Amino acid sequence: MALLRSLVRKGLSSSTGKNITFQALRSAGGWNKDFAPGPFPKTEEERRAAAKRYNMHPDEYQPYPDESYGMGDYPKLPDISGESKDPYYNWDFPEHKRNFGDPIHAHADAIGEDRWNISAKPKIPYKTQILVSIGFIGSLIGIYFLTYDFTYYQPVMPKQLPANGVHYTFEPAE
Amino acid sequence: MGTYWSSYRHPENFPDRASEPTFDPLYGFPNGRKPREMIATVEEMEAAKLDLIDRDYCAHKLLEFRKCRSENWPWVANCKHEKHAYLTCEFDDFVLRMKEHEREKRLKDRQMRLNAKNKALEFSE
Repeated sequence: MALLRSLVRKGLSSSTGKNITFQALRSAGGWNKDFAPGPFPKTEEERRAAAKRYNMHPDEYQPYPDESYGMGDYPKLPDISGESKDPYYNWDFPEHKRNFGDPIHAHADAIGEDRWNISAKPKIPYKTQILVSIGFIGSLIGIYFLTYDFTYYQPVMPKQLPANGVHYTFEPAE
Repeated sequence: MGTYWSSYRHPENFPDRASEPTFDPLYGFPNGRKPREMIATVEEMEAAKLDLIDRDYCAHKLLEFRKCRSENWPWVANCKHEKHAYLTCEFDDFVLRMKEHEREKRLKDRQMRLNAKNKALEFSE
């Protein structure tokens, strides 16, 4: 509830036309312990209370699995990036493509309009990207190790410096 | 091409680029070898503050070249003769290094053949 209250406060300031920046937890008022999500909800009552806190219907509310994510009871929202949201819909906050009271995605700062488009199909599949990167660098490393025993240097001896002793030419001594 | 092939076939006989000669320099020269003479003196080289790697057997040519440059600057294109003389000296030094390398390689090959022959003789006895 306190989380939404802080957002509402900032939302009112946007009516003057200023941009509001609620990206992640960088709020102008600083951090408050009430902003933190609560512990993982175990009973039905806790679930309903958490859903009410985040302004979600209890059937829609789904927390992150309790497996070391550390999200507590923060809801797991569908991964829709800012770019994929409808640009012609009459959003309350068009800069963020968000309506008043909408719960904010846990990773909203990463999937915003000018960041990673998580809901779009990548032009080159992620698996291909990883395999090509590892394959290219791996083949360069492999070539280094395969040719290590066959290195060839210029066929010369080290430079002859007079400070290091006597040296001779190939002409006969007089 | 031939050097690369021999380095591939017998890598143990191909001297490393950092290894010094292992055989006696005068071995196999019935008439001896003329020693290389150093013309620039230590005092001259120290006065000119030459790099340690430049204090080789061509240092006198380098000192002449630098003298010409400092006299003719900014018209240093007039020092073409001195520059060519220095670079020719360095080239001859490089050719001498290549000859030393070839000599080292051949002596090592010969050593390998002698070892093989001695071993064969031991087995036959």
